[in-house]
Amino acid sequence: MTRSIKKGPYIDAKLLGKVEKQNSANTRNPMTTWARACTVAPEFVGHTFMVHNGRTHLKVFVTEDMVGHKLGEFSPTRTFRGHTKKG
Amino acid sequence: MPRVLGVDIPNEKRLEVAITYLFGIGPTTARKLLKELSMRGDVRAKDLSDEEVARLASHIDANYTVEGTLRRQVLSNLNRLKDISCYRGLRHRRGLPVRGQRTRCNARSRKGPRKTVANKKILRK
Repeated sequence: MTRSIKKGPYIDAKLLGKVEKQNSANTRNPMTTWARACTVAPEFVGHTFMVHNGRTHLKVFVTEDMVGHKLGEFSPTRTFRGHTKKG
Repeated sequence: MPRVLGVDIPNEKRLEVAITYLFGIGPTTARKLLKELSMRGDVRAKDLSDEEVARLASHIDANYTVEGTLRRQVLSNLNRLKDISCYRGLRHRRGLPVRGQRTRCNARSRKGPRKTVANKKILRK
């Protein structure tokens, strides 16, 4: 089920605030966040986020193509190291 | 046999079926498209006059994305997902189901034929 259009995209208010602060200060420091469900807004382009994957924060550099996706999509939560080899 | 948009040569089938041989035109689009042109879907493709074929071709060309253009569009969408390395892109890269289906069993359309692992049961113990 997709989100209602009436509500608009979910953008974490706290994170957006951080981005705007950096935009006005013209800095590009990585921002640590747990907001995986937050949609990537056009303002985020060019910033780096440290997105929590349940264990650590993975570095995500946002490019223009990523707008509209959720931050969590770029921070995989599972590690698959392959099936057991014989022996 | 009439040629519509280059390579496609639909055969002795009813027109609404024949044009589904184009990549990007299925039964629904076919019916809709013929309605737009007010052409009948139940005539055989071979019975079309050259003028009708031309009309059909130009209409499809102007209003629908089909064949090479569509294929390229699909591919570029996939490549976009792969390039941004989002979850869906990773699933496409690995050839696994993209929309959250289970992979413990089934998922054969994505994974292809079974790769049997010898002595799997013994190893598990």
